[in-house]
Amino acid sequence: MRGFEPLAWVFQAISGIAMVFLITTHFLLTHSSHDLLSYDSVLYRMTNMEYKIFYALLLIFVTFHAFNGLRAIILDTEGGMRKKGAVNAVIVTAALIAIFYGLYLLSKF
Amino acid sequence: MGVMSWFKYKSPFGLAFAFQRITGIILLFYLILHLCYLTSLQSRELYETLTSITVSRQFIIFDSLLILCGVFHGVNGIRIIIHELGIGHELRRVVLAVSAIIAILGWIIGSYILFMALGD
Amino acid sequence: MKFVIRRFKDDKSFWQSFEVPVKKGMTLLDGLFYIRENIDPSLAFRASCRMGICGSCAVKVNGRPRLACEAQLSKFKKEIKIEPLDNFRVIRDLVTEFEGFFAKHKKVKPYLIANTDYENPIEQLQTPEELKKYYIFTLCIKCGSCLSVCPSSATLESSLGPAALVSAYRFNADSRDRGKEERLKIVSESFGVWRCHSAMECSEVCPKQIEPAKAIQLLRRETLR
Repeated sequence: MRGFEPLAWVFQAISGIAMVFLITTHFLLTHSSHDLLSYDSVLYRMTNMEYKIFYALLLIFVTFHAFNGLRAIILDTEGGMRKKGAVNAVIVTAALIAIFYGLYLLSKF
Repeated sequence: MGVMSWFKYKSPFGLAFAFQRITGIILLFYLILHLCYLTSLQSRELYETLTSITVSRQFIIFDSLLILCGVFHGVNGIRIIIHELGIGHELRRVVLAVSAIIAILGWIIGSYILFMALGD
Repeated sequence: MKFVIRRFKDDKSFWQSFEVPVKKGMTLLDGLFYIRENIDPSLAFRASCRMGICGSCAVKVNGRPRLACEAQLSKFKKEIKIEPLDNFRVIRDLVTEFEGFFAKHKKVKPYLIANTDYENPIEQLQTPEELKKYYIFTLCIKCGSCLSVCPSSATLESSLGPAALVSAYRFNADSRDRGKEERLKIVSESFGVWRCHSAMECSEVCPKQIEPAKAIQLLRRETLR
């Protein structure tokens, strides 16, 4: 392996494939009938261990994929490539904040 | 600006690339918005106020467009993964056409589910 | 037929139209020569072999890069728009600089690094099956069409671009070559394979149908090992 780029690329693909299933499931779980978005239904899911694990997984995959994608877009620009170290650091930090915040929210239920 | 050149595509492939980036950015914004939404769950009142606005007939068009973004990004993403494995380059036009059909079908089905859920 | 050409002279860019009489079998390059010989001798463009092998005459025709010597005028309508290739600095009219393009090639060591030297040369044997594995990628004529449509190369000057990466793969996949590690080190930098996002525009415009996108993906896989 040369650096982390190969790993990032592989995980971008894996998270992408995983999300096709996870997000389709998430959409069906929340939209296949009207009452699924009521406060009580949402609360039921958020307090259920199996759902929590599902949501945590979804959160990690989505956040990684989105922020890594953004990183690729920024590094494709002159300014971005010049400040590659800073871009990587900011993106990783933002992604970690998003993940920890999401997990924190989940833990409150 | 330099980045506008992404959108000076020469073929349907370039168009797909441009849309992949645009939908990716839209979905990133949606992710952040969604995390805010989940923050609102801490108060029943706040959550129900937000959902009364956003889970409504007026908002269905935005939701449908979001589904289009998500379905396109996902299906096109799978197409890219297939090609990045080194497979199907000779048949890339067929793969693109099939992806477009799957994406449109997915959008229609998703929007239909959304519409039906609202109607109950 | 009307040729609408984007000229560039004295730091000024402007469009100029020319009427060119068209005969059956005439190529775009024939048309450009006609303009230079009969209407405006100051029109600058590159050309050499006239048969699609030297890669000199690539220009943007109606928005798409083509080899001027291979573009049949009968395939176009009454008006044709000709511009220099994108992502290259224009020197004059349809002539762009190519030093950067060749420098990117040089970076990937596009030559055989074999187990032999000039003093005691050892014959480098290769079976037809081994040749088949990389043969198509040897056909690159370095015309620059792929780089002109690559979205990463459009926004990042230091991006190696499809042609250089194809060259790197061509040598890595050559059974006679021993320089794989050296080349992989170079192409696995951030400006190498990782700038490719499979837009596939390069494969669509390559006049030799090499499919640079495929070569880059195969090269990418090698960086994983």
